Amino acid sequence: MKIINIISLAIVALLCAGVVLAAEEKQGAAQPYDENTYGPAAPIIWEKPVKAVVFSHKTHTMGAGLGCDSCHGGLFEQESGAAEKKPDFTMDKIYKGGYCGACHDGQTAFAAKTRCAACHIGARGLKRLRQAESDRTAPAASH
Amino acid sequence: MDIGKLQRLPSEDLSAITSRERRKFLRLGLTITGLYLGGTVLSLVSARRAEAAGGPVPATGQYPYNPHYTMVLREARCVDCERCKEACKTTNHVPDYGYRTTILERRRDLAEGTYETIFMPVLCNHCNRPPCVRVCPTTATWKDKKTGIVMMKPSRCIGCKTCMTACPYNARYFQEEKRAIDKCDFCWQARLSKGETTTACAAACPADVRIFGNLADPKSRVYQLLHTPDTIVWVLRPEVGALPNVFYTNA
Ligand code: HEC
Ligand code: HEC
Ligand code: HEC
Repeated sequence: MKIINIISLAIVALLCAGVVLAAEEKQGAAQPYDENTYGPAAPIIWEKPVKAVVFSHKTHTMGAGLGCDSCHGGLFEQESGAAEKKPDFTMDKIYKGGYCGACHDGQTAFAAKTRCAACHIGARGLKRLRQAESDRTAPAASH
Repeated sequence: MDIGKLQRLPSEDLSAITSRERRKFLRLGLTITGLYLGGTVLSLVSARRAEAAGGPVPATGQYPYNPHYTMVLREARCVDCERCKEACKTTNHVPDYGYRTTILERRRDLAEGTYETIFMPVLCNHCNRPPCVRVCPTTATWKDKKTGIVMMKPSRCIGCKTCMTACPYNARYFQEEKRAIDKCDFCWQARLSKGETTTACAAACPADVRIFGNLADPKSRVYQLLHTPDTIVWVLRPEVGALPNVFYTNA
């Protein structure tokens, strides 16, 4: 019985995701990214404990259809770098369902023990992002 | 001559063939795999196929050294935090312009225009047949007879950089201060010779990517990782035939 329940739930979940994605795709094509609706456009980057992990609001809100409160209702503060200050911002905690692990458990989203480099951009990725940033903010005179 | 029958004959002792002779064939891309009828018939396999037939990991009991120092890199776990690089730099006084180990980044295309990133740690492969040693004119670099570590003696180095060109793994750099080539020695000088059991990079890795140990010891983690059922083990640039002792796996 239990198994059947889980399967039917999974099917419902898949159908919902399909609908959401289809809607997002249409919207995405028509409208530019709206920060008020989907959260900050700039990626969130953590450098501690390790260089470097990146989080994108866009893939989660606009892409996966998540509402603000699914993360900003206890998991994360609305302040870039807040989690980084906590000593338990580690894989151990994430594997146990903390932080990103609340969803990245292999069911709601891909499991945190797989695809390490999907979240981790590394020292190289960080350098590239910083470079891109300074290129963007460089004074017009340099062009 | 009946080739079929010949193939079933046990090979005569291959040690009669000098390494010079073997190299001649290797240069043609051929590996000697057997010797028959008093040395009148050689069995040759293209070097690449000979490699593929057995895989890159030597058969158990066939490790030429003891301890046979080896590093296994669990590649998919690498997140390029570069703590290994930093540890290596401080432990071995590596200047900013050079490296003994580094992380490369590759992109692999996935379906629908997406891709994944693969971080690939690299270092000296401490090859069983090191091309760098072969070309050094002053024996400043050699294969240690006991541990298999490819060693380097700066005072003997004349800085000709031939070894740099010969290395298939780009694992050597010219150190200006010493006026000599510098390279990874599995932390022999800085750690192992002082009783430590692992390299600085392996000790610093927070993701359990770099596993260092003695392949001749079946109880070691490196041995176990290389002999886990249903896993793939690979080496970099096997076609060179250098027989590396740095192995990659995703186990
Ligand atoms: C999937 C999780 C998730 C969702 C959904 C999400 N956020 Fe966030 N948000 C984060 C994380 C993680 C941070 C960074 C927190 C940290 O560093 O401790 C963050 C930070 C922020 C910040 C601070 C940015 C800065 O530069 O200081 C704002 C503002 C924000 N979110 C707004 C929103 C809004 C608005 C929504 C809904 C449209 C939303 N978020 C949905 C995870 C999420
Ligand atoms: C509220 C649930 C939730 C939380 C919390 C969450 N994610 Fe996700 N994440 C998702 C979903 C849903 C997807 C899309 C489905 C998938 O890729 O498995 C996703 C996808 C991703 C992707 C893949 C994007 C792509 O282009 O494939 C990355 C990277 C990612 N998340 C990183 C993070 C990081 C880093 C954190 C923690 C800071 C985090 N997520 C927290 C739900 C969440
Ligand atoms: C869903 C996103 C996500 C995935 C997938 C992920 N990580 Fe992390 N990881 C994080 C975040 C967030 C942090 C904390 C921020 C930081 O260190 O920059 C972190 C920190 C770490 C740290 C330093 C803290 C610690 O736990 O020691 C290591 C090491 C690490 N990750 C390794 C891995 C490995 C190995 C994998 C794959 C098996 C992996 N991570 C997959 C998000 C992820």
